[in-house]
Formats: sequence, C-alpha cells, structure tokens
Amino acid sequence: MTLPLDSREWAIVRKDLKNVWHTKMARLTILLVPILLCLVLPAVYVTVIALVPEEELAADAREIAALFAGGEADTVRRLLFSMIGQMLGPLFFLMVPLLSSTTAAACSFVGEREHGTMETLLLAPVTLRQIFRAKVAACFLLSAVVELVSLLFFSAVMAVGSIVLEAPFYFNGNWAVLVFLLCPLFTVLGIIFMVLVSGKSKNAMEAMQTSSYLVLPVILLFVGQFSGLFPAGPLYLLIAAALAAAADAVLLRLASRAFTPEKLLR
Amino acid sequence: MTEAVFANGLSKRYGERLALDRLSLSLSPGSVFGFLGPNGAGKTTTVKLLTGLLTPTEGACSVFGLDPCREPEKVHALCGVVTESARLYPQLSGLENLSFFGELCGLPRAAARERAESLLRRLGLWEAASLAAGAYSTGMAQRLSLARALMGEPKLLFLDEPTSGLDPESAQAVNELIAAQAAREGVTVFLCTHQLRYAQDLCSGYGILHHGTLLALGDLSSLAEQAGCHSHAVFRLGQGEVLPGFSLQEGFFRRPLRSEEEMPALVREAVQAGLHVYEARLERPALEDVYFRFVGHEEGGRADDTSA
Repeated sequence: MTLPLDSREWAIVRKDLKNVWHTKMARLTILLVPILLCLVLPAVYVTVIALVPEEELAADAREIAALFAGGEADTVRRLLFSMIGQMLGPLFFLMVPLLSSTTAAACSFVGEREHGTMETLLLAPVTLRQIFRAKVAACFLLSAVVELVSLLFFSAVMAVGSIVLEAPFYFNGNWAVLVFLLCPLFTVLGIIFMVLVSGKSKNAMEAMQTSSYLVLPVILLFVGQFSGLFPAGPLYLLIAAALAAAADAVLLRLASRAFTPEKLLR
Repeated sequence: MTEAVFANGLSKRYGERLALDRLSLSLSPGSVFGFLGPNGAGKTTTVKLLTGLLTPTEGACSVFGLDPCREPEKVHALCGVVTESARLYPQLSGLENLSFFGELCGLPRAAARERAESLLRRLGLWEAASLAAGAYSTGMAQRLSLARALMGEPKLLFLDEPTSGLDPESAQAVNELIAAQAAREGVTVFLCTHQLRYAQDLCSGYGILHHGTLLALGDLSSLAEQAGCHSHAVFRLGQGEVLPGFSLQEGFFRRPLRSEEEMPALVREAVQAGLHVYEARLERPALEDVYFRFVGHEEGGRADDTSA
C-alpha cells in the first residue's frame, strides 16, 4: 500500500473522518483516551510524586522503583518519576493508537455496513483497492493526529515533572522506537484487526468491544519488563516491532482478500 | 452496437437456494426495460449481478461490453444504481452526500457541489439540503438516492423498486424524474417494479421473473400473444340492440379479436346493419393482465406439481 492518494481516495478519507467525528461514541473515545492516558493520569502521578513527602512514600514503591528504573535515578522521587516515563508511560502511550485506530476503523468499516452505506460506496466508480486504501489511510491519519497530541500532552507533563523533580527528560532510545516504529505498526494492526472482525460484528459498538483482544499483546509486551524477565531496551522493543510488522503484513494480506463486495455485504 | 445489458445463462445460488436460474437477456442502448416479478423473484439479485456486487454461480453478463465482476468501477462509471439496501450517510447532509458521490464520480469538488445543488433543486429537496440525511422521510430519502444515482450523468439506470414504500406524492415525483431520464436520448433504464400500470406507460420492453426463472421477455404485444391475452372489440349500442357473436358485459358488447385488423370491418358491419353505435373501441390487454396470466399460470403449475 503506497501513498499518496488520488482525489477520489481523499474524498473517502474526508468523508470517513467526518463520519467518525459525527459518531458520538467514537468522538468521545478519541478525545478522552489521550486526555486520560497521556495527560490526566501522568499529571496526577507526577503531582503525587512531587507533593508527597519522600519519607511517606511506601517502602514497596521505593523497592519497585529501584528495581525497574535501574541506575537512571538516584532519589525515590526520581526513581518513581523514571518509572512513569519508562514503564507506565509507554504502556499508556501504546494504548492510544490501538484504541483510536480500532475506534476509527469500527466506524469506517463496520459502521458503513451497519448503516447500509457500504453497498452505496461499492456502487461508486472507484475500485475496491481505492476504497480499502482510503479507509485505512483515514483511520491511520486520525490515529497519527491523536498520537501526536498524546505525545505533546505526555511530553508537557513530563517536562514539568523534569523541572520540578530535577530529573532527566523521559525521551530516550526506547521512546524513539515506540513513537516511530511500534505506534505506527500497532495502529495498522488495530485497523486491520477491525477489518477482519467487521464481517462478524453486528454493529460498530460490538466491533469496538472486540478491540479489547488487542490490548492483551500490549500488556504482554510490558509484562516482561514488570516481571523482570526481559530487559527494557531498544533491542527488545525492536524485536516487538519486527513481530508487529510481520503480523501486519500477514493480516493485511488476509484483510485485503476478505475485502470483496460479497463478503462485505453478507 | 454493444448491448447496454447482456446476460447469458446467468445463475446465482445461495447454498441450496437457486435465486436466479439461467437468465438470458439483451437490452439495446436507449431502451426502457421493465423487470417485473413478485418479491423474492430474483430481481434484486439480477441487479446486483449486473453491477458487480455479486459474483455469478454460472453464466456471464456484461454492461456496455464490460464485465461487472472484473471491472466494476468502469461499469459504475456508466451506471446509476438505486436499490432499497443502498442507503446514504445518515450523519451527512443531503448536499454533503451528493457532493461526496459527485467527487467519487470524478468531478472536482466545486463542480460536484454545483451538480448536487442543481439535482436537489430539481427533486424538490433544496429546502432540506443542509439537513442530515438520517432525518429525511422515506420519500425524501428515496429521491435523494435517485439524485445520488444521477450524479455521474449515467448512460444506464438500474432502479430496483424506486417507489417502494413511498406515499403517492413522492412516488409521482420519483416516477416523473425517471420518465424524464428515460426520455433523454441514449439513456437506458432497467426498472424493477411492482407498479405495473406505471411500467406499462414507461417501458418499451418487459421481462417477467418468477422464482428466479425468466418466464417471458418482449414488448407488450408479444407478451400478450405468448400469454394468450387478446385485444377485444367493445361496442355500446342503442337500447335493445344486439351484436351477434358478442357477449354483453355491463352494458357493453365484447368480443376477442384474433388480430386488431378485424376492428375496422366490425365497425363498418355494425353501422351498415343500422345499429346505433354510441361507442366502439379497441381494448388492448393491459400489462397487468399479461403479468398475472404468466405468474398465475406459474403458481397454478407449481400448485399442481405440489398436489401431484
């Protein structure tokens, strides 16, 4: 699948984005997920770290922070701050593309079928490939914007935290892999997953609920870190990205095969 | 000349059920074809096969020489299609819907909007142009669907029950628009309908489909002949007068004709016999009579088969 899109594909992209925005549930999800996961939760966490006296921080928190943050920080506050930057933050941050892309794809693919508009679209003088490309592009673009906003939110919180706690800024090699590789790959994974389940879901809401199956691999990705089984490093994330890319390639092939009028209108 | 619509042995099976059984037909460009049949006869399946939404189980079809399965987008560039199940985006306004489909037809945005506005005016929907399509009444939504099908200035219109569920006013508005399209030179209309009287006024050829099988194909006179429906000579005479060989029904003397050529001689004979001819007319069989003769026969045949 190569960009750029032609004028007809852009018309579908604009229409899909408008449609997602007009769907209340999708609009709320896409607005609330980044605000909650990348602004409110990190802000509350950083505020607590900054305001609670160091001696009142639980011994468990100190131990956990010391275990996972390695030698990057030297005080409990900084250790806990490092923990949000390097462990919870990435977990939250990966949820954003997954949730936003599956929500957009649920509206774009399942919603069309639900409202009986897929048939109308299939009767237009555009190829199936153009429809598929445009729809995937619309979901990807929307997710990319949501990710960018989430990154700005998270960076703003972490920048304030860095200044207040005199801790190093969170962005490092892990985050570079996360932002530039894992997030786009997970976005595509979310979209294609939704295309594949679209034939089995009665409506967009049901399809959105099935997206929870995708959250599981994201959590698993970080369980290794939490359990101490895998070292947290760019290599580990690069391997995860390679696996995600392989899954994307296989599923993309399956999804484009399943994208036929007869299957879509079944 | 390439046929506007061509089907040869076209069949579609859903599991055990045969929805369409070896349909063969050919329509020349500019013809207005009425595809008649009860619900479940296979009309919608035919339209979906001809527009590439379904793949035939057997047989082949083409639209202006193009295979709808291989090149659906090229077929759609030539066709406007209205089916009951093809709806418009409920959250977008009527104008946004039409402009969007105009862009998909290859029009630049400004031109698409201009054509959308013009069609909304022609269809009496201008007042509701900015209203979300989901808030349109059934009649308005159907007119909007027709406008959508016309956005690409199609050479062929597939209309599947375009007036189904409409009130008489909306049905009339839709029918008038279809008639206007049918009158345009070179536009072919493939009309699936239950409105037999309207089909008789509009269409030049008919196909009668029942349980997936094409029972008859042709113009009204050839269908009437196949069905054994004859034209009648009808006379109204003076008080107490009789016409030998005619039967009296509700004050009119009626007699079936082998050929319409008999009529002038019958009028002449009645006048020469000194009868007071107040009214003499040739009553041709209506499409309704022909249709029910075919479908009735088929139902009767099936009932006989079942009882046997």
